[in-house]
Amino acid sequence: MDNLLSDINVLDLSQGVSGPFCAKLLAGWGADVIKVEPPYTGDSCRSSKPFFQTIDHSQASALFSYINTSKKSVTLDPFIPSHAQAIMKLAQNCDVLIENFPPGYLTACGLGYSDIADSCHDLVYVSVTPFGQTGPYSAYKGSDLIAQAAGALMYTIGLPDRPPLKVGGEAALYTTGISAFSATTMAIYVKDTQGFGQHVDISAMEVMAVSQLYSSIYAQFGRPAARRGSNLVRAKDGWVSPGLETGVQESTWLKVCELIGKPELVNDSRFITQESRRANQDALLVVISDWAGRKPKEEIYHTLQSLRTITGYVATVEDLLMSQQFVDREFFKLVEGESLPNTIQPGAPYRIADNSWEISQAPRLGEHNEEILCQGLGYSMTELGLEVS
Amino acid sequence: MSISSPKPALEGLRILDLSQVAAGPYATMFLGFMGAEVIKIESLSRMDINRGKARPGPDDLRVYPNGDPGERPWNRTAHHVHRNINKQSLTIDLATDQGRELLLDLVKVCDVLVENYRGSVMDRLGLGYDVVSSQNPQLIYLKISSQGATGPEANYGSLGSTLEQTGGLASITGYEDGLPLLTNLVYPDPVVGILSFGALMTALRSRLKTGKGCLVDLSQREVTTMLLGESILDFSVTGRIAVTMENLHRDMSPHGVYPCLGEDMWVAIAVGTEDEWRGLCMALGDLELASDNRFCDSESRHANHNELDAIIALWTIEQDHYEAMHRLQSHGVPSAPVLNGNEVITDPHLESRGFWDVVDHPETGPYKQVTTPWLLSKSPRGIPRPAPGLGEHNHQLLTELLGLSEHEIADLITNGITGEIPKE
Repeated sequence: MDNLLSDINVLDLSQGVSGPFCAKLLAGWGADVIKVEPPYTGDSCRSSKPFFQTIDHSQASALFSYINTSKKSVTLDPFIPSHAQAIMKLAQNCDVLIENFPPGYLTACGLGYSDIADSCHDLVYVSVTPFGQTGPYSAYKGSDLIAQAAGALMYTIGLPDRPPLKVGGEAALYTTGISAFSATTMAIYVKDTQGFGQHVDISAMEVMAVSQLYSSIYAQFGRPAARRGSNLVRAKDGWVSPGLETGVQESTWLKVCELIGKPELVNDSRFITQESRRANQDALLVVISDWAGRKPKEEIYHTLQSLRTITGYVATVEDLLMSQQFVDREFFKLVEGESLPNTIQPGAPYRIADNSWEISQAPRLGEHNEEILCQGLGYSMTELGLEVS
Repeated sequence: MSISSPKPALEGLRILDLSQVAAGPYATMFLGFMGAEVIKIESLSRMDINRGKARPGPDDLRVYPNGDPGERPWNRTAHHVHRNINKQSLTIDLATDQGRELLLDLVKVCDVLVENYRGSVMDRLGLGYDVVSSQNPQLIYLKISSQGATGPEANYGSLGSTLEQTGGLASITGYEDGLPLLTNLVYPDPVVGILSFGALMTALRSRLKTGKGCLVDLSQREVTTMLLGESILDFSVTGRIAVTMENLHRDMSPHGVYPCLGEDMWVAIAVGTEDEWRGLCMALGDLELASDNRFCDSESRHANHNELDAIIALWTIEQDHYEAMHRLQSHGVPSAPVLNGNEVITDPHLESRGFWDVVDHPETGPYKQVTTPWLLSKSPRGIPRPAPGLGEHNHQLLTELLGLSEHEIADLITNGITGEIPKE
């Protein structure tokens, strides 16, 4: 089937989370992605927790299994000249190359942007690194936490009397991968419309400096942003944010007072307008807590949303899989495992009619060596010093 | 091919931007940076919430430069100035027949429409996808909604702060006590803004091939849930439910923020390999630490992290957070100062990469503006144009794009369909 990117070939030299996540998003829309991994050890992400089994083996990582769907795997080391030559041949047949080595590393292997672009001027070459290709920190090492720190994201997260807190999981690295995806698709669009490829430079620090949304502008306008407590209220089985202080129509408040069994609150001057409810938010939360503590969080969410409030409930991963909204939209996909257990995975990041999200199990290490290196390029495994997998 | 004078990546694209608050405006801000023409549509009775109130009260002043709302407060809030850069402002009351007709005329001369209203609003205004695409079959309609265009919750309302709950992110963000916390920075919004840009690029590319426009259905909640994919997979196989873990990491240890000299100053350290661990011991000048059995591998360091964190903090507390980073990085240890809003705008690395644009906004004076999360070697971002005053481009757009006469424009102003002063 013709898909959004089904005519695009991608060589993914990256490891970890952000570069491979970009390649996964391209693969989901039909791009043909060849993942290049270090021989024998593979992408470092293969040994990242959480593991499906307690015994560590090269396909037990949930993280790796998530971010490498719909790719093919070959094992080559750009530092070995014969391998670098094979990578060059693969790159010459590709529209996009993604890498996240330290800046300058691939140039030392003869695989830098200008080395390849000399013969393929329309190649989109995407470098995804902690701090970008230039500047005083370009050789510095990074991680999810480091990006959230350097980009001024985490300074304002957490409680005032506790240390700054990072967004959980690998949020910064995923967001860096998403930024690389958007930049790559833009560069492909430019290639289609203007006829040339280019070097795309993605810095995780800058992705976070974009994601801090208003700390930088508030600082300049004289009101620095600070860590603060949350407005979450305890429900019977978790947490909700009732969302009664902003964006609520006046008639809604009357209904809420009925709902929580306190009709007398309608005349309470502390809560009579949106402004007063906002000003007396803490008192309001106490009143609501009495009621919320006896109700399941999802019931509160649906009940208050039906009154056109902006209510939230803290969903756990289990709640997400149970969500009727996700079920109805078939957001989660069952990915059948051949050498692995079946998994349930998030599906398309957005939908466009007549295009469907492709998601198949992440490859075994070197699974496609024979097909791509031998049949495709005419190498023998011995010639490359690789054992037959 | 040699490129003599670089052309903006998106030159020639015209975007009709009906979006508000954060996710949509961020997406269109990036489009503007990359050379698209962005027309921001608001009405005088419902401005973008970013503009604040027409008549702010004493509790609303924190969003203005130095707390001063000025004569036209709606043109100078932090959020508006910062997120609505690179756009033109056109006011149209879409709830009127005349306003709706104007919008349908605009649709005919635009490539992309972006909106992030509550799910049903555009249909209620008679401006749903079927209607607008019949005016312009090549139009790409980006519908950014809370829950997606379908499903039982399609018309639910949300903000970034509720999406991080319903999308699952809050359940893994918090200290070790297990209490979920919000990001305070409505983290899903910028993520959706960045992804929306790529969604549009793929749709535009599809239009090049098919000659047809399309509806892009983007659920902010689904995008948020993508950020915890590994925990979903893990639950689906093992039944484990991911929880908050402060700044600890599943694989890396030590991993966290450590106090430095100065009030509320911190350095982040993330040790992922044994080489980095030895580098940390070197940087601390504590070679005995490297042979301490309590910390001999990642598992042990994780198990004994309280003791280890205390040892590291004894060193960091006497360091400047920037100096700590340079010293640690010189030993190959991933680290960075935890920068605040004031520091990040003067950081020498971002400075040297030209990340910030200095923008001289007529209402606020010069300030440093967030730009794009990417640099393209041959498609540089354009020169920023300050966020527009409400209705600033009414006359220009109504005459040049829609061919209206002075008389017709005067009528629209009289009827309150367009103008520059918000209604109460």
